[in-house]
Amino acid sequence: MNAVISAEGLTAGYGGPVMRNLTFSVKSGEILVLIGPNGGGKSTLLKTLAGELKSLGGKVLLCGEDIGRLSPNARAKRLSVLLTNPLRPGMMTCREVVETGRHPYTGPFGRLTATDRKAVDRAVALTGVGDYIERDFSAVSDGQRQRVLLARAICQEPDALLLDEPTSYLDIRHKVLFLETLRSLAHENGLAVALSMHEPELAAKIADHVLCVREGKIFRAGRPEDIFREEVLRKLYDIPEELYNKYFIQERN
Amino acid sequence: MKNEKLRFTVVFAALAVLAIAALAAGLTVGSSELTAAEAVNGIFHGGGLEGDIMWKIRIPRAMAAMLLGGALALSGYLLQTFFHNPIAGPFVLGISSGAKLVVALTMIAAARTVGRLGSISLILAAFAGAMLSLCMILPVSQRVSSGAMLVVCGVMTGYICSAVTDLAVTFADDADIVNLRDWSMGTFSGMKTESLGVIAAVTLGGGLCTFLLSKPLGAYRLGEDFAAGVGVRVKLLRAAIILLSGLLSACVTAFAGPISFVGIAAPHIVGVLLGTSKPIALIPACFLCGGIFCSFCDIAARTVFAPTELSISSVTAVFGAPVVIAVMLRKRRGEP
Repeated sequence: MNAVISAEGLTAGYGGPVMRNLTFSVKSGEILVLIGPNGGGKSTLLKTLAGELKSLGGKVLLCGEDIGRLSPNARAKRLSVLLTNPLRPGMMTCREVVETGRHPYTGPFGRLTATDRKAVDRAVALTGVGDYIERDFSAVSDGQRQRVLLARAICQEPDALLLDEPTSYLDIRHKVLFLETLRSLAHENGLAVALSMHEPELAAKIADHVLCVREGKIFRAGRPEDIFREEVLRKLYDIPEELYNKYFIQERN
Repeated sequence: MKNEKLRFTVVFAALAVLAIAALAAGLTVGSSELTAAEAVNGIFHGGGLEGDIMWKIRIPRAMAAMLLGGALALSGYLLQTFFHNPIAGPFVLGISSGAKLVVALTMIAAARTVGRLGSISLILAAFAGAMLSLCMILPVSQRVSSGAMLVVCGVMTGYICSAVTDLAVTFADDADIVNLRDWSMGTFSGMKTESLGVIAAVTLGGGLCTFLLSKPLGAYRLGEDFAAGVGVRVKLLRAAIILLSGLLSACVTAFAGPISFVGIAAPHIVGVLLGTSKPIALIPACFLCGGIFCSFCDIAARTVFAPTELSISSVTAVFGAPVVIAVMLRKRRGEP
């Protein structure tokens, strides 16, 4: 299958870490997980892939086209991003938040057509947010809010989805539910998904490919079974052996 | 959905009725005692004392209060949206005062050289002043994370501009500038019929442009990055917001001086009434509400202590400030 998002000789950065000459791609139906310590450059890389940050060199291609040359609307029709936590304005229902995902498709006044409503309903069903869809966005829990945002991203009907630490502050149940939805979006609906995570044990379960980012460089890249190993993780995150053994290795009887 | 439609209909109908009532009251209340019949006669048959009172004094004043009040409310709404700050407004951010300063200086300078200024030059001067204040507040907004700090900086900017204006007005020749003192306190009195055309064009034009931004503003509620993600041209939108809010508040200041609290209060009042922050409903409601609020405040300003007139700001503050306090208390309780 064709690459949906690809970086070609990409140099990315601003202020902090600069990454040079990266080449990789995410295909349709694939999940790429970025792991690595805080401040290592995961967010910078995701922002550059999203076209929010100008690349300093090389190219980001979205379905074969240079992302910097796409109009904001054309980009939003192919790529949904969930990078930063949005504000929580008052008096805006979760449904309204999901409906903003139709922004690139609607006319000058944002009136929703039957097609738009169908896309919203489908996204609501896929993410299971129906129970609280009419509630105020600022009044639902963090986990619910994140699912609403995912519903918004889906109803944009993109080919690719970029997420920056979407599970970090969720409880276990919501982490698992969220990842399961992502998995079915990629594996059953053919989206190309790239996300950063801080939970190696969960990342190992859903990743098709893993990119380890550390100090602005790709420290290691490969399939999950080659990455989620003691020696790689300990080096990636700088964890002393005894601590790693204490917290990550289960006692064997 | 049904409920929302019903609610919108009821609120808009109520606002329309109130707007008509405010205009009617503005036309029939005043220092010279005219009966309603005389007032109507004055409007439709012109001529005579009644015609003059209606066409030269009351109609311009009532219309100006309605239109400029609406402009202030929209300017406040745009600034609140731009800064994601519920207590932002043209007055607290020092934008009205910046406009006032440049208008006062321009008027004094013009009085010595070319004489009286036309409406357009007044608006341009006010717009320049508004942009000057915005240029001071924009870098601050990027550096301070707390909304309260932003407002404090805005209030300080306002004080500085007001101080310089007072100084200029004090030392200006009284003959130079008739009414400058009254104007610098904020008033709708002495509004000229000729100004009405310009006021209507700028406020209604600005209002229409704001309404056309409803769609991107809806996504912008969730923040810049979010809006960019769904395809909004954020830089363009931000520039449009700043220019429109500056133009609207400049128009108000040019003709009526600085008026406090309408810009903050009106968006919150209609937000509570409509139960939504959807721009497409909020923007027209906001305009109506600001107009109604200003009209009734103006009526109060000229009747409560008649024949002495109060400055419009003292009245809008009495009714507007409690709204701001309520908003801040609600925010503290963790509500939107």
